[in-house]
Amino acid sequence: MKIKIDGNYYEGNLGETLLELAIRNNIDIPNLCHKSGLIGQGRCRLCMVEVTEGTKTKIVSSCVFPIKNGIEVSTSTENIIKIRKDIIMLLLLRTPNNEYIKSLAEEYNVVPPTRFVDVNSKENCILCGLCVKACESMGTNAISLVNRGTTKAVSTPYDDASKDCIGCGACADVCPTNNIKLVDKNNERNIWNKKFNLVPCSRCGKYYTTEQAINYVNKKLNTNEEPLCDSCKRKIIGEKFKESCQNIY
Amino acid sequence: MSIESNYDSIDSEESIKSINIIKNYPKEKRYTLAILQDIQKEFNYIPRDIMVSISEYLNLPLSDIYSIATFYKSLSLKPKGKYIIKVCNGTACHIRGSNKLIEEISEMLEILPGETTEDGLFSIEIVNCLGACALAPVMVINGKYYGDMNKEKVKAVIDEYKGAI
Repeated sequence: MKIKIDGNYYEGNLGETLLELAIRNNIDIPNLCHKSGLIGQGRCRLCMVEVTEGTKTKIVSSCVFPIKNGIEVSTSTENIIKIRKDIIMLLLLRTPNNEYIKSLAEEYNVVPPTRFVDVNSKENCILCGLCVKACESMGTNAISLVNRGTTKAVSTPYDDASKDCIGCGACADVCPTNNIKLVDKNNERNIWNKKFNLVPCSRCGKYYTTEQAINYVNKKLNTNEEPLCDSCKRKIIGEKFKESCQNIY
Repeated sequence: MSIESNYDSIDSEESIKSINIIKNYPKEKRYTLAILQDIQKEFNYIPRDIMVSISEYLNLPLSDIYSIATFYKSLSLKPKGKYIIKVCNGTACHIRGSNKLIEEISEMLEILPGETTEDGLFSIEIVNCLGACALAPVMVINGKYYGDMNKEKVKAVIDEYKGAI
């Protein structure tokens, strides 16, 4: 189906969301709580766009809006720019010292608020819930959103080391504001108040993941592969590819 | 693992009671809140080991149950008092001096709102409106309404509860 975005037509696939279509075509829509593979959050509201269908125009979150035939999308009307600025301003109030939010504010010309702001704030979490979603997708479910209102936060049950946590670091990986502290030191990993022993890559010897994470993956996939870090894994696949190519020619 | 086998070794009254409450419900996610409410009613809070057995019974991650238990104000992770004093701080009560009333009760029981006395008898909670504005300032102790409160009256009421023990 054809979708009109900012005057140009783009080919959309069935079941795709508006944001996915936009990202695929390099159309700039700012977003924080979106990550391919972990879609459908609609929490940060930064990806708001205007959708016109027939004679009706409405404002939607593009990350959770499924595309359909005959819609016309505007990503930078006066209204949208204002909403975007307001949202970034509110995020700045929550995390005034976060580098990423600050750079976002600069990019979208948001003047940092001077009133009602705690200039010494160490808050970095915007409560987008991506980490919770990542943990859920891993199947570990060690963290969740706890409390509510002004005390809402991401945490493990009772703030203790969770028996479900495998130290994979998926939560820290997806965090848009770099809030989750993952410390690798002396072959030990510290995350969510839990200590893990790191395992070295069997090729390059770099300590890259935890015992628990490897065991978890092996158990889930019913395999027992040698521990390999990302770059070594890529190298091996490349070598195999090269070999098979040589066999052909 | 069945919930019974988990508790074979522990024979406390608390665990037997909690098992009976949990087993009243089918093993479905949608009964989480109902179970938690029943546990709260029975024990005046959600004990940690019972939260673990709920998660095992419903086959849900503990983090999910913890998330629900911390979200609702009517569920508590710390033991609440036998008598829960809910003081209204809605607009009408506020104007008619509910803040003074809260201060007075706090001083009398030597605890802050949200806390429980050491003997486990009283908890103070501030609520936003009890819907009885004509009785302002009003408070509720375990479902019983006390309207048009002032210093003397509140002292008499609390002394009455203290005396009843």
